Amino acid sequence: MTLQAPGDRAQDSNPGIVKSPLDVGGGLFLIGVAILGFMGAFSLPFGHLSGIGSGLLPKSVAVLVATFGVLLLAQGLVFGGDRLDRWGIRGIVFVLGSVLVFAFTIRQLGLVAAGPLTFLVASLADRETRPVEVVIFAIIGTLACGLLFKELLGLPIPFDPLSLAGPLHAPYEAAKATLKALFLGRVH
Amino acid sequence: MFDLWNNLALGLGVALSLKNVGLCFLGCLIGTLIGVLPGVGPIATITMLLPITFGIDPVGALIMLAGIYYGAQYGGSTTAILVNIPGEATAVVTTLDGHQMAKQGRAGVALGIAAIGSFFAGSVATLIIAALATPLTRMALLFGPADYFSLMVLGLMFAVVLARGSVPKAIAVILVGILLSTVGTDLESGEERLTFGWSEISDGIDVAVIAMGMFGFAEILRNLEAPEARDVVKAKIGSLLPNRADFSQSAAPIARGTLLGSVLGLLPGNGAVLGPFASYSLEKKLAQDPSRFGRGAIEGVAGPESANNAGAQTAFIPLLTLGIPPNAVMALMVGAMTIHGIVPGPQIMTKQPQLFWGMIASMWIGNLMLLIINLPLIGLWVRFLKVPYRLMFPSILLLCCIGIYSINNSPIDVVMTAGFGLFGYAIVKFGFEPAPLLLGFVLGKLMEEKLRQALVISRGSFMAFVERPLSASLLLVSLVLVIIAVLPSIRKTREEAFQEAD
Repeated sequence: MTLQAPGDRAQDSNPGIVKSPLDVGGGLFLIGVAILGFMGAFSLPFGHLSGIGSGLLPKSVAVLVATFGVLLLAQGLVFGGDRLDRWGIRGIVFVLGSVLVFAFTIRQLGLVAAGPLTFLVASLADRETRPVEVVIFAIIGTLACGLLFKELLGLPIPFDPLSLAGPLHAPYEAAKATLKALFLGRVH
Repeated sequence: MFDLWNNLALGLGVALSLKNVGLCFLGCLIGTLIGVLPGVGPIATITMLLPITFGIDPVGALIMLAGIYYGAQYGGSTTAILVNIPGEATAVVTTLDGHQMAKQGRAGVALGIAAIGSFFAGSVATLIIAALATPLTRMALLFGPADYFSLMVLGLMFAVVLARGSVPKAIAVILVGILLSTVGTDLESGEERLTFGWSEISDGIDVAVIAMGMFGFAEILRNLEAPEARDVVKAKIGSLLPNRADFSQSAAPIARGTLLGSVLGLLPGNGAVLGPFASYSLEKKLAQDPSRFGRGAIEGVAGPESANNAGAQTAFIPLLTLGIPPNAVMALMVGAMTIHGIVPGPQIMTKQPQLFWGMIASMWIGNLMLLIINLPLIGLWVRFLKVPYRLMFPSILLLCCIGIYSINNSPIDVVMTAGFGLFGYAIVKFGFEPAPLLLGFVLGKLMEEKLRQALVISRGSFMAFVERPLSASLLLVSLVLVIIAVLPSIRKTREEAFQEAD
């Protein structure tokens, strides 16, 4: 299901100037990437062949990318092809938003807050989300991640720098002690 | 021949230490656990679990990573059979007959034969790697920078031919990968390239950041769009052990699949992906009654699964002997090895024989472990797969975030990964495939280095690439490949080969 590229679907005929929105979009995308790449390497020297400068590769690759972009764009204007797929804005906003929430809270608040926040924001991406279920899962998931990554595998993840866990602290410590007893300290 | 056994004995000595067996076991187990999650393929799994290998010595870390890789592969097959969702391209074929078998109450047998076939294939592939390692490494020492460059061109051309969709799009996406590889400080001149003055990326972009964004986050975004269409098998799992009839039907397909997969896996440029498709078509052609295929034919699981595992393993050969990753997963392995201070290439075998042979021996042990771990745990995986996606994807996201944060303990990495999630999503929406980009990204750095060296040696003459016979023939083969790829008749068969699986 997820591996299906948009190009695999049936072709649509399109009467406008844009015969294949997928190819036109792809072409514009490539041109955009190429322009960005070329600008980033703009001031760098080409050098000469026996001593290639730092600008040669990025600039020439950017030109190649742009060439393919133009080709694709032209192809999309002349030949028919696929439509552009709709973008799932809701998913983008909440899934990537939740990742940003994680990035901005993990250092200051620790996993104990970043975990459930990430979980809650992410779950908004799905319309079928049920609040109670999510809250329970978020808390259990966070504690399990803490036990697995911090205690068992010894990663230096900030867990609870501000002691926000409150009542959850006791069961966590108990689980931690059990784990330590089970694995005789740490795996490594 | 005597050398081969000696080397394997040395490797087994390393791999069988209590600690390394433990790490191999842990790697296989956690790899399977994450790999079973629907929509999480080997690339996302390895990236997510990379930090847990930190703090282990290089030998142990590599053994664990290899275990994670096999575990992820096998977990993907389990999901393909039980839920009809392939975790990655190569598992697509397994869904065809595997899921049908599961619906007929033979999920146990399908999983059993997949595990047994994979184990056989893995054992053969381990021997092939051990046998080819020494001669190939010797050959690699004859390679000059120009030859390396041409070999990488050939690898990328293979990746173009084997990518789905149009050839120009595949080439373009590889070029974008190469462009991304130039981001950061130029090693020779010390100048910053494509950083736009942003100091966070002056060391370049981490391959894990790109991999996690494009394969972890983008995949979740795409899964969320498709309505939940998971159909976890409701029929009973049944006996895990195939009966005598199953065995006699599967033995030949397993042997043929192993051979096909091993050879294809050796090719530069993702040959391994072809293995399962080729094996499936072959078995269908050889079958007395081809109509059984797609309706739960055990050969349709046994052959492709063996081919898949054999290819997954022989793909290590170009990486370990030449230092050139043949596909996106191996490209990620380069990143992982670099973190542990190991530069893949011919010097590993000569300078660190313990590490080299220990890892190869652990491949076989890992395959054995998968057989032992997975068969009894299938009931657990089934229960695991019944968790609805609305709860599963936030959990996957959280694991991804923790994983990517832990690589450098850097929140900026997490932000960049979100950016690459959007980038990967856009790329797929515009009809490009993300895997060649990752390969281009990793090869891009190597290619620039070798290009510069070659031109310095030849004093700026491009003739260096056509004067050396090795380099010239590699470039010639690349050229032939491109021509073949755009020829209409070949294009048609190529499309059909992939369509078979749709």
